[in-house]
Amino acid sequence: MLRRNSYTWTGLGLLVAGIVIFCAAFFIFHQAWLSALGICMLIMSFILLALRKAIPNIPPEVCSLLLETGVDNMATLIEELGINTKAIYIPSSLSNTFPRAFIPLHSNGSNPRITRALPQRLIVRYGVGPEDIGLLISTIGSAATGMLEVKPGATSNELESALTSLFTGRLGIADGTRVTYQNNHIEIEINKPRLETSSDLSHQCLGGPLATIAASVAAESWDKPMKITQEEQRKGKYYIELEVIG
Amino acid sequence: MKIYNRYFVTVAIVLLSTTVILIAAGQTSLDIFYSIFVIEALIVTELFVYFNKKSRRVLNIVGVMLFGGFGIVLCIQVLKALLIF
Repeated sequence: MLRRNSYTWTGLGLLVAGIVIFCAAFFIFHQAWLSALGICMLIMSFILLALRKAIPNIPPEVCSLLLETGVDNMATLIEELGINTKAIYIPSSLSNTFPRAFIPLHSNGSNPRITRALPQRLIVRYGVGPEDIGLLISTIGSAATGMLEVKPGATSNELESALTSLFTGRLGIADGTRVTYQNNHIEIEINKPRLETSSDLSHQCLGGPLATIAASVAAESWDKPMKITQEEQRKGKYYIELEVIG
Repeated sequence: MKIYNRYFVTVAIVLLSTTVILIAAGQTSLDIFYSIFVIEALIVTELFVYFNKKSRRVLNIVGVMLFGGFGIVLCIQVLKALLIF
């Protein structure tokens, strides 16, 4: 709310100052350069006053509280169940609604084959075997995918554009991304990330927030399940490697 | 949020630099000042392609308003030219 007010107040301040300066310079002093400065201030005030409507009402602190609560609950669930397998991010076509994370409860080293849409439940069965069972959960990536205006195609350029739009334009948590695709592996490089990551069990299972979002968007783009194989932060950049399953 | 701040700072720097350059060049016509400001503001807005739909919509409204002013300036100049001839 503070940021939104700062846009409003700055915009109004520039508007009033711009009108006063323009009128005084144009009608009283007859100074073109001062009149131009007034016009310049008026244009900036219009932009600020327009932008104030586009900025979210919810303060970042409230968003942070909601995110932390959700992540804490997820971490508790995963730790209590003693899950040590990596989550698989599945597209909306395999989860019926929106991209979700599927966590297999048992793993024999190979990736589970999910060939049909899973039911919308927490505990789901994906195969005929007695151990073919797992958790189907929503992550921040699931919600973030819904913010995309169009579904990106299965190319590295389209994924890069979608992720940059999301991270830089919508969420403001990074300065840009670079995506490369090779041999069923997608490498994502995120510039100047501004989200902290923890190292608890849920992080090892689901991945960090940036990796979660990237994996969900990539799963939706390729329309195939994805797995985060590697993620690390070094020299102000965040590197994520995804494996395309199936 | 950072992208909005960056956008506004870019617009402010571009417009103020233009004011200084045009004044240094001895320009006194307000029509020229306004036309260049509008064109620059529209170009900078187009360069920020990663704005969300809502931001783009409100900035488009501002763009239309500014362009309307530009149109009026243009009409006045055309009328002036026609009256001279």
